[in-house]
Order: sequence, then C-alpha cells, then structure tokens
Amino acid sequence: MNIVGITACPTGIAHTYITKKKLIQAAESRGHHCRVETQGTIGVEDELTPQEIADADVVILAVDVKIHGEERFKGKPVIRITTETVMQNAVGLIQKVESLIKK
Amino acid sequence: MKQQLTMVKKHVMTGISFMIPLVVGAGLCMAISIIIGGPNVSTAEGTFAYTVNRIGSLGMTLVVPVITAAIAYSIADRPGVAPGLIIGLICTEIKAGFIGGIVGAFLVGYFVNWLKKIFRNVPESIKGLVPILLIPLIATFVCGLLMFYVVGQPIVAFMDALTNFLMSMQSGSKFVFGFLVSGLAGTDFGGPINKSVSLFANGLMVDGILEPEACKLLGCMIPPMGIIVAYILARKKFTKAEKEAVKACLPMGICMITECVIPLAMNDLWRVVLSSVVGCGIAGGLSMLMGVGASVPHGGWFVIPTFQNPVGYVICMVVGSLIMGVLLAVLKRPLKEDEDSLDGLGTSSGKAAVNLDDIKIEEIG
Repeated sequence: MNIVGITACPTGIAHTYITKKKLIQAAESRGHHCRVETQGTIGVEDELTPQEIADADVVILAVDVKIHGEERFKGKPVIRITTETVMQNAVGLIQKVESLIKK
Repeated sequence: MKQQLTMVKKHVMTGISFMIPLVVGAGLCMAISIIIGGPNVSTAEGTFAYTVNRIGSLGMTLVVPVITAAIAYSIADRPGVAPGLIIGLICTEIKAGFIGGIVGAFLVGYFVNWLKKIFRNVPESIKGLVPILLIPLIATFVCGLLMFYVVGQPIVAFMDALTNFLMSMQSGSKFVFGFLVSGLAGTDFGGPINKSVSLFANGLMVDGILEPEACKLLGCMIPPMGIIVAYILARKKFTKAEKEAVKACLPMGICMITECVIPLAMNDLWRVVLSSVVGCGIAGGLSMLMGVGASVPHGGWFVIPTFQNPVGYVICMVVGSLIMGVLLAVLKRPLKEDEDSLDGLGTSSGKAAVNLDDIKIEEIG
C-alpha cells in the first residue's frame, strides 16, 4: 500500500517526530511505502505533495491537535487516531489499517 | 460520549500548543528583566530593563486571548478566531483568567458552529456576508454579553476562592499539594495525565500563582534524570535497547522533553512509574515548602535561573532524581538471558497495548 500521514502533538517537539519515525518503521516492516508530514510547533515539515496524496491508498492522521490542510484528503479513506496509538502499537495499527482497506 | 471527550481534549490541546511559545517568549522576557533590573523593575520607567519587562508583560496579557482564540479555531475553524480573541480579552479584563478563557472558547466555538449551520442555506447573493459580517458580529455580541453578565461571574468567584485556598495553605497541606501536583505530572511522561496537570499549573501561573508551576516542572524534569541515576547504579539490569534509550535521556532531559522516558517505561511500566511518582512527589512537596515558583512553562534547565528560589528548585530536583533513581535501581529485575533484544516498534503483545477496535475509516467532507 501507499500510505501518507500527518503527525502532530500538543507541545509539537517530541511526540510528533517519534510518532513519524514509528509509523514509517512499522509501515515499512509490513512492506508498505509510507510518507509522513509533521506539523510541530515549528510548522509544517516534509509537506505531502498533491501527487503523493493522489497516489495514496490510505491517509493516517496521528494527531492530538487541530491540523492545517485537512481538506487535501477529501475523498480519501482517512484513519484518525492519536499519537498515543502509534507510540504504543504501531505495527498493530498498520495491520488493522490493512484489514480495513481490504474490505 | 468517548468520541466527544476526545474532541474536547483535542480542542484544549490545540489551545495549549498555541499558548506554550507565547508564554515562553513573554515569561522569559519578564524573568530576564527582573534579573537585570531587580525586583522593582516594573516601576523603573525609562530603563532598559523596564522596556524588556514591558515586552514580557504585554505578551502575558495576550495569553488568555490566544488560548481562547486557538480553542475556538479548533472547534469552529477560522470564523472562531476573531470572536475568540475578543472573548479571551474580556476574560483577562474581568479576571476570569485561564479557566474563563477555556470556558469562553467552547462557548464561542460551538456558537459559531451553530451559526454556520443556521446560515448554511442563505441565498447565494448574501453568502459573502455570513463570514465577514454576520458571524463576527453575532458571535462577538452574544458571547461577549454572556461572558460579562452570565458565565464570567461564577468563574471569577471560583478563581478568587481557589487563589485564597492556595495562599492560605499550611505546611502539611502544602506538602501534600506539592506531592500531588508533581507526582501526577511524573506519572505518564508527557502523556494525558501530565498534560492535565500542566493545564492546571499553567492556568494558575498565568493568574500569578507560581508555586504549582514549579511542581509541574519538577514532575517533567526529574524522570529522565532519575532514569540516568538508576542506570549508573544498576547498569546490568538494563537491556541493549534500554541502554540506547537512556543515552537519549540526558540531552532530552536537560531540555525538559520528558517523553524520552516512555520507551523505558513501556518496557517496565509499573516499576518506572512507581519510582517516578515517589521521586517527583517528594520533590514537589519540598518545593512547595521552600516556596519555589516558576513563571515559565517550558524550557528545561536553561530557564531555572529565572525561577523564584532557583537554588531550592535545584535541591528539589536533585533529591527527587536520587530518590527515583535509587528506587528504580532496587526495583528493577535482573535481566533474563533471552531478554536482550527489542525491536522498539511496540507490538500487539505489549503490556500496555491500546484498543484498536474503535479505529475506522472516515471521509472528510
């Protein structure tokens, strides 16, 4: 699968980036391609391109706060969770997403 | 219901995330001005230190408006911002403070959302008037009046009562209060409990009560140091992956990124949490007794010199870290042979596995 995602946490300096790393690691360990944009206190980094979003099979929003640019994902299957979920069980999450998308 | 609660939390967290850099910028300017200009800097007009103090104090008056606007923005998107700023300023004016700002923000946010719903089917010709005229006017007018006449008053009374209660505490209850604030802040290393305590302490700090904020900071700064102490005392009880995680604790701990403890806590949940709560709690109790106060919500070791009684703070931090470290070193089990590998990804066999059943696909409309 092609996965794109956004991570954002309240303080925007730690969880945002740990979550990004874990999400990518977990997705790649299950054989998927994964690109993650971060929206920390510093602002948007690694912004997803329209092409990447168009090519994506699923969008994972691991966010604890309001994010910018949610309207970019109109019409896409979106999974909305907290950063906590990724921190605690990233692989389980990816497996769950796999089963949801196959249905 | 659970869904609703998650949303409320998200809105408040958005507010906090906008507030933190503002309070750090303004609070530190005030603290620096006191360092260079002495305690009476706010009346020493014309001096350089006075100017720095003005920068900070003007910035602090924006804290409640910004958190109100940010929460309203999270609830109602852009139309929430303008009325949110105004309602927040009202809260500052009537001294309803931080709590008033949060209550006001939900009032504004949901009211604006309701207005959006009502105006959804207006004719095309006046569609442009809705966001530029109708929503700002009606939301500001109605919520502003409500804040002044209805919602604000009980909050002001509550804030006064809380302030008086905290001011009049005796030493025994001071210790218990400090133990609670720091212990809770040290429970989940930047997680929801820590954030709730932060909200409480930041709120009091904005309203000029600085002691709880120091307790909260202890609860954030002690855990990484406690882990390091435990590591020095009982190196053999740490797995390879844990050792890697410990390395990150020094730089991150100095910067008050207490999240670096999470990988270690995940591996050994109750031992790490228990020792952290005891260490932080005792430090927090001491800090209350010594009258340590902090006027900055973040910044790690670098902002300690700006505290009220910084030496006391350092003593509390050292004591707390030692207690936590010794306790953890004693509690931690020796390694079993096959335990020395961990992929660090968090798998479904993990002890604290989250519930994945509620996760579903949604569409963004």
